[in-house]
Amino acid sequence: MGRKGAASLEESHEAGNALGVGKLLYLRWSPRLKRAGLAATVLALMGIVAFGVIREAGMTGREPAPAISRPAVAPHRPAWTRAEEAYIQALWPIHGDVERTTVRLSLGKIFYKINDLGKADLKVRVDAALATYRRAESRITALQPPPSLARAHDDYLAAVRLFEQSAVEVLKMFDDGDDEHLLAAYPVSQEGTDKIREIGAKFWVDEFPPN
Amino acid sequence: MTSKLKRLLGAVGVVAMAGALLGGGALGADEPDQDNLRPPQTLPQGFESTDQLQRDLEKAENAPLYSAWLVESSRFVDVAPGSFMPDRAFIPGSTDPRHNIPFFDFPANVGVIKGKDGNITLYDSGWKQLEYIFDWNTSCCWWGLREQMTNIGLDPDKVTRIVIGHGHWDHAGQLDSFPNAILYVQKEELKQIDFFLDYPIEFNQGHIRAVNTVDPLTGLQVGPPQQACARTPVCGYPPQTVAEIEGKVLTGKAKIVDGRFQVAPGLVIHPAFRGHSYGSQLLQVHTPRGELVFGSDAYSSWEGIRDWNVANVQQTDTIQQFLAYEKCYVLTSNSFSFNNCLAAHERLSYSTDYPITQNWWTITDGNCSRAAELILANGEPTHVPANVTTGTTRITVPTLGGRTGPWRIDPVVCKNTISAVPPHTISP
Repeated sequence: MGRKGAASLEESHEAGNALGVGKLLYLRWSPRLKRAGLAATVLALMGIVAFGVIREAGMTGREPAPAISRPAVAPHRPAWTRAEEAYIQALWPIHGDVERTTVRLSLGKIFYKINDLGKADLKVRVDAALATYRRAESRITALQPPPSLARAHDDYLAAVRLFEQSAVEVLKMFDDGDDEHLLAAYPVSQEGTDKIREIGAKFWVDEFPPN
Repeated sequence: MTSKLKRLLGAVGVVAMAGALLGGGALGADEPDQDNLRPPQTLPQGFESTDQLQRDLEKAENAPLYSAWLVESSRFVDVAPGSFMPDRAFIPGSTDPRHNIPFFDFPANVGVIKGKDGNITLYDSGWKQLEYIFDWNTSCCWWGLREQMTNIGLDPDKVTRIVIGHGHWDHAGQLDSFPNAILYVQKEELKQIDFFLDYPIEFNQGHIRAVNTVDPLTGLQVGPPQQACARTPVCGYPPQTVAEIEGKVLTGKAKIVDGRFQVAPGLVIHPAFRGHSYGSQLLQVHTPRGELVFGSDAYSSWEGIRDWNVANVQQTDTIQQFLAYEKCYVLTSNSFSFNNCLAAHERLSYSTDYPITQNWWTITDGNCSRAAELILANGEPTHVPANVTTGTTRITVPTLGGRTGPWRIDPVVCKNTISAVPPHTISP
């Protein structure tokens, strides 16, 4: 506030004394004055309500804050056909399982390497991952892709098989005790993650929105 | 009169004693016990008091100096301001500069920090998801970080460290482009991903989960097992990105840190947990212009730091983001204050409006991406083209043919007419 503010406070204080503030406190309110005061209060309250209503109405014109940044530019890709859409929807839950499993396994290997996860716990993760991948392979094989998505279908299946192959390689470390299997398995699963990201970005563009 | 005085003195004594007993905790705030200063929501390893930060500031005075640049990895195009900064939401008809912009573009920035020994530390490693950018036309100007560095006269083989502000795909991509660099990532960042992978869906009908909450085709919220990522806590970590972190760990090229960590004299990691993601971290860099503080998405917007507005808050604890802002204010208190805070997605980047980036140019053969020289040290010659204000360069990607334009080309023209789509493989 500074000196100017302090000065104005002093001034108003002096002005208050000049008006005899102490005396004003003891003034009695006449009935007429009371009615006028009541009317003023009611008017003020109505004004506040009206302001609120107008403001709310104005707010409806406001841009909503969506959870995801939506670009104004229309996407290039043409709409999916019904058959394509059905295939993509069928693949979606499998894709979720594969992704969660893969991230969980990657983190398991990281935590194992930094001594934050025991070997037995890592094996639990690898076993569970392998089971998920094998199940995913069966489920994908059972899908009938439309010809236009046959290549993506094959690519996804190949990615899942890479994950299986990688998990089998990791399991060897529990037999011979050699952690080098982790390194040998890594490029194989990494290739799998590249593949499912490429396909995922085509099929489910909002899956990993900008952060 | 005497008895009145005695009673008065007695009352004063009782009040004083009560004050001493009850006020002990408040007095403790000035004591060295840091736990008394730590907000209850803040993890112990994520907390740094103002005193501790000031000590880092003092220590930096004797540290070696670094040069620094900012490089635009890619650019988000036509983003609704309100989705990025709630305080900047567009209001039709408004003439208020805070509310009159319907869409804006902003970069994904990477920090490039060079020491006296010639070695380079990256802060963030840029964006890798080309399919996202080009198949849906939601971004422009991506180019590979190694090529960008080469084209601004910095040797990518000299990158020995990568400090990622957090692990999201648009900031921790391209890790495998620098196989010899040591990665620095917070343990808390990895732990939170692991936690939310298994978050029990019965608590919330599956609305909080690792991957899969919105049906990608219909846009409808759907229950398990069709869970989508959307804005849930671990959204932003595709298996591909986590795998690259895994690769660094398995090859012995990672340092998993837990809170504050000095990478080297003059380079200090400061935790900013939940300032954006759970394990966000800042990097304090000692330079001739004082301390620079790189913040990745904890500092998504420099305007946000300046005006104390949150930004990019969908996965953010707003108080923790403000505490992260405060860290920058403390660390830069003897130099340029918030002007030395480096934001990952500041829309004003590469202009005089964000003063530290005013020394900018369009990277040659860099697909319209831009670079800014922040500060030079140790006799490092400038990398800014000599004729930056009047001359021209090749702007487009070499594989798709060159096009000439000014070094400081209008970014709107650049994104709309010149930025090209690099070759990429997938087509279903």
